[in-house]
Amino acid sequence: MDAHGFDEALDFAISMERAAVAFYAQLSAMASFAAQKSVLAEFLAMEEGHVTMLTGMKTRGAVKLSPKAAVDLGLARRLAAEEKPTAGMNFQDILSTAIKKEERSGSLYVDMAAASADTEARSIFERLAAEETRHKRYFEELYETEISRDN
Amino acid sequence: MDIKDFIAPFAVWKRAFEKPFTVKKPIDDRPGAPRYRGFHINDADKCVGCGTCEAICMNKAIDMVPAPGHDAGPGDSGLRPRIDYGRCCWCALCVDICPSGSLGMSNEYVWIDSDPEVFRYTPGVEPKPWDGAELGYRRAEGYRLLDEHRVDMPELHHAEAVKSFLELVRGYSRQQAEKEADRCVSCGVCIASCPAHMDIPGYIKAVRDGELDTGLRLLYETNPFPEACGRICTHLCEEACSIGTGGDPVAIRWLKRYIADQVELSDYAKALPRAEAPTGRKVAVVGAGPGGLSAAYYLTLLGYKVTVFEKDGEAGGMLRYGIPEYRLPYPALDKDIGYIESLGVGIKRGVSIGKEITLAKLRADYDAVYLSTGLPTAYGLEVPGDKHPRVLDGVAVLAAATRGEELRLGERVAVIGGGNVAMDAARTALRHGAKVDILYRRREQDMPADAEEISEAKAEGARLVEKAIPLEVKDAAGAYAGKSAIFVWNDAVMVQKEPGKRPVPEPIPGAVREERYDSIIAAIGQGPDLSFVAESDGVPMKRFKPIVDADGKASTGTVAGAPVFAGGDLVNDRKDAISAIADGHRAAVGIDRLLGGKGA
Ligand SMILES: Cc1cc2nc3c(=O)[nH]c(=O)nc-3n(C[C@H](O)[C@H](O)[C@H](O)COP(=O)(O)OP(=O)(O)OC[C@H]3O[C@@H](n4cnc5c(N)ncnc54)[C@H](O)[C@@H]3O)c2cc1C
Ligand code: SF4
Repeated sequence: MDAHGFDEALDFAISMERAAVAFYAQLSAMASFAAQKSVLAEFLAMEEGHVTMLTGMKTRGAVKLSPKAAVDLGLARRLAAEEKPTAGMNFQDILSTAIKKEERSGSLYVDMAAASADTEARSIFERLAAEETRHKRYFEELYETEISRDN
Repeated sequence: MDIKDFIAPFAVWKRAFEKPFTVKKPIDDRPGAPRYRGFHINDADKCVGCGTCEAICMNKAIDMVPAPGHDAGPGDSGLRPRIDYGRCCWCALCVDICPSGSLGMSNEYVWIDSDPEVFRYTPGVEPKPWDGAELGYRRAEGYRLLDEHRVDMPELHHAEAVKSFLELVRGYSRQQAEKEADRCVSCGVCIASCPAHMDIPGYIKAVRDGELDTGLRLLYETNPFPEACGRICTHLCEEACSIGTGGDPVAIRWLKRYIADQVELSDYAKALPRAEAPTGRKVAVVGAGPGGLSAAYYLTLLGYKVTVFEKDGEAGGMLRYGIPEYRLPYPALDKDIGYIESLGVGIKRGVSIGKEITLAKLRADYDAVYLSTGLPTAYGLEVPGDKHPRVLDGVAVLAAATRGEELRLGERVAVIGGGNVAMDAARTALRHGAKVDILYRRREQDMPADAEEISEAKAEGARLVEKAIPLEVKDAAGAYAGKSAIFVWNDAVMVQKEPGKRPVPEPIPGAVREERYDSIIAAIGQGPDLSFVAESDGVPMKRFKPIVDADGKASTGTVAGAPVFAGGDLVNDRKDAISAIADGHRAAVGIDRLLGGKGA
């Protein structure tokens, strides 16, 4: 998809974050016990925060996001490709799903930036891609401390 | 009256013109001898505030006092010695005994003041002109009043040990235990570092005095698993031991074991407190690991009727189904559990909460519920191919070994991970005759397993492959297809990517390696199984942990039913037996307080 100009780029990003909210809501509907629901509610609230942030930026007409990518812990590349969340999903399943999701969003923004002829849109997508690396990093750190504690 | 008595006062006058014996500056500025025992100096950062100097001082010239800038914490009482020079006889015994070697004496001896109250100070904390003096008295190199070497523990040799599941550590004899107990200076800085705050100096003194019943009573005040902890405790106390600042720390863990080993189970009741009168109230405990059983023990003493629900066939949790018998033999664990059961704690084995009974039902039928369900879920490798039938989970392998099942690990085994589960799985595989590689993503020094466990695994023959990032598991080819698997990993370098954070293993491009193994045991981490807590139970969760207050109580909001407490591996960050035991004790006290008892 190609996007032109500020509004279109932000609308696209907001729709992506809304899709993420819907994704966690869908997982939550599938969840069968309290611990899953609370983690999914936390992640859903984070995505809602991103929607609010991007909407605010659109209203103000300026994207205040650092173009600096976060350190990549390299987990996303290694985690097994297929994630099939089930009613019995544990913390590892949820976190790997989240990491993979952020990775996918990041690469999509990178592709969008590359495909954008419009310089403003390109710069916005580059910043959004950098923002996704920060989200991914957040989940990767959680994965390191909570899941692969012994490796 | 003699004539001299009249003349004498006039004779004295002539002295008035002679050079006086006293001068304005009463003492000539003569330096003290190089090893003169003058005013004390103390390296307050090296000092651990153990108070051994205070204890040895026969003149009571030393008081331990709070010192600004030195907070109490593991291995430091936060106190520092204050010397009273009205009492000090300059014998320097304090310097000779000081375990940390922080205390010395300068060769300064002149301190003039008209106020007699001031000759008292805390060296190293209150600045004095002689701070940093090079000369003066120090404990001579190699001279120790304290024995810096611990009494050797008889152990099976590694070559011998790896042939069977016999316990490695044989335990102290009476003579050895008393000699080791003699090394303790009773400073007590270890107490704060023990999650259960055991009375360590107290029970070590009991060993020294040969009063093992007293020792056992002191152990049980805070820990009803002395046989187990006397063998496998993470012994944080030994890291804090003041003797360890200048030699081997006292073998606190082995002394605990010595007491428990020496007293027969049939004699426990004579030494230990009886339960208080029944309160008429009932508590349900979920999980018969050390945490759940510790709560059950203290609640029973407080007069509660306790029922423990355990999904497995035997009680003990990870102490039984995780830790192998060469480290913790089953009879020792059975002794701890046997005593708890003998007090009337009912353990319903083979009953899984969430399957046979719901949490809501427990909350309806009991006056309080304690959750100590640990971390039974093994996390997967999460690399492509990790569902290969030869990829096994470490906790399951260890549990199968406990049940006496045939493991069929094969000849070549890879263990992935660097924690205690990995070390125990590797050493179990070695005892089954396998050739074992332990592959860990970081360096040896980053491994979360006890250093002792790592060195023993290596000594028993395991090969450690550091900086190995798992990439993939593939089926083996040819005759091995389906029976063996290929483990593929990427060699890494450690890169300090961000200041202040720990280095990250970064794959070396192209450095991909692979080996064929008959079994690949994943031991990367474990998590809880909280599927038995429904949203309708109202127990708040954060990141797969119940949220609890300082007593271990979860706020269940408006949802009706008995209060829910939680602890142990499920909740705490330390994830060791003694922390689970401490959590269980704390919850018992909290439950009692909530239900109207005095909470002690
Ligand atoms: C291989 C291995 C080696 C270890 N080595 C050491 C060591 O050297 N030193 C040390 O201090 N610690 C060690 N640990 C950690 C130690 O075993 C744990 O910290 C400790 O056992 C935690 O106690 P707990 O009561 O919280 O949980 P656990 O011991 O895990 O007990 C939980 C119990 O709850 C039961 N349960 C779970 N869910 C349910 C349910 N729904 N219904 C009924 N019952 C349920 C389980 O079957 C289990 O019996 C090791 C752990 C492992 C796995
Ligand atoms: S004996 Fe040494 S370490 Fe202990 S309090 Fe005195 S000066 Fe400090």
